[in-house]
Amino acid sequence: MLREEPGAADLLATARDVLLNDLLPALPAEKAFAARMVANAMAIAAREAAQDTARDAAALARMGGDPRAFAAAIRAGAHDPGTPGHAAAATLLDDITRARCAVSTPRAIARR
Amino acid sequence: MDEARLTAWLRDATGDAALVIEGAALLSGGAIQQNWALDVSGGRAWVLRTDNAATLAVSHGRAQEYALLRAAFAAGVTVPEPLYLCEDASVLGAPFFVMRRVAGTAAGHRVVRSDTLAGGRDACVRALGHELARIHAITPPRADLAFLGSPPADPCRAFIADQRAALDRQRHPRPVLEWGLRHLERTVPPPVPPVLVHNDFRTGNIMLDEAGVTAVLDWEFALWSDPHADLGWLCAKCWRFGNDAQEAGGIGPRAALYDGYGAVDDARVRWWELAAHIRWASIAVDQAERHVSGVERNLELALTGHMVPGLEWEILRMVEARDAA
Repeated sequence: MLREEPGAADLLATARDVLLNDLLPALPAEKAFAARMVANAMAIAAREAAQDTARDAAALARMGGDPRAFAAAIRAGAHDPGTPGHAAAATLLDDITRARCAVSTPRAIARR
Repeated sequence: MDEARLTAWLRDATGDAALVIEGAALLSGGAIQQNWALDVSGGRAWVLRTDNAATLAVSHGRAQEYALLRAAFAAGVTVPEPLYLCEDASVLGAPFFVMRRVAGTAAGHRVVRSDTLAGGRDACVRALGHELARIHAITPPRADLAFLGSPPADPCRAFIADQRAALDRQRHPRPVLEWGLRHLERTVPPPVPPVLVHNDFRTGNIMLDEAGVTAVLDWEFALWSDPHADLGWLCAKCWRFGNDAQEAGGIGPRAALYDGYGAVDDARVRWWELAAHIRWASIAVDQAERHVSGVERNLELALTGHMVPGLEWEILRMVEARDAA
């Protein structure tokens, strides 16, 4: 291992705890929003650092390696309900979006 | 802000040679505009509105917004009375206008928590329905609103085309937004005659006090479209500020909004609610791009980009439910 531990995800999570528990209570009220934005950014970055990058490659492969062509096919109606590829396309979009939410906004998928 | 130049201009505009600016304070405003609270001699409480350096290409300039405010004010919409417009950028560095200052609360998270603002939840959304009905009574053609361009023959299809064009301008393909737009295309309702649509009529842009609506703000996205677009934007889950049970903007019941508005085609509103999620996701992509591209490095813009996956999840769920229905 070339990198010293703790790694990015751990450092961000630990630093975020300091921000929220030690610094935020000492900040003037008008700075609380900025501090919460910083905490949110650190949480997103920590989740991204911890994510399995192999999943991105797998999702890309399921799109035939070309997200632009996949998007164009959807626009053209090639994956409409009633087409043979509809269910697979819907599942793929769900899978990709669930993984994206897991980094950006886990609460969005936790509600279900 | 150069107060001496502004004072000279205001003296000229008002014809009051003794006019003095007694106070000027930057209000918390949007990422696009600057709003200044001006206290002017004679007890005049005004707001001066001007642009930040970097502005979204899709929003109207100050002169256009001033014309929209005048049209809305004349139609009886509750807006701050527009007073003076300065199109000469040499006075403050960008065009600006001055309007009367109104008191109230707009902040979304506070508004949706209150059971008493604007006479309570039911009365509040009923009043919002009245406001929308007055806005939608403004119809084309209007010489004073010529900058809005010619009204679309089919506002719903025009929306789809505009959104696709916006996606085509972005750096990355967005399969989920395409999925949503394709659903809208498959289920498009018949054309309706276009009216003036505010196009950002939502919690956060409407100022309230305990008695009622004090101002409908932020007119810079207005266009000729389907009136149900405004109802859908207001009711869309992404604009309820977490208070999902109150379907009209997180503030009050949908039925009371519809009742205050008048005749509502609920199916059309639902179509526009899906459209609202797609449009907001696309705007969020553009806002994040201002940060990523370096046009305006800003943490709030950066975080807005991370709202996109959550909106996409909601779009997938809405399409799934609508296709199953």
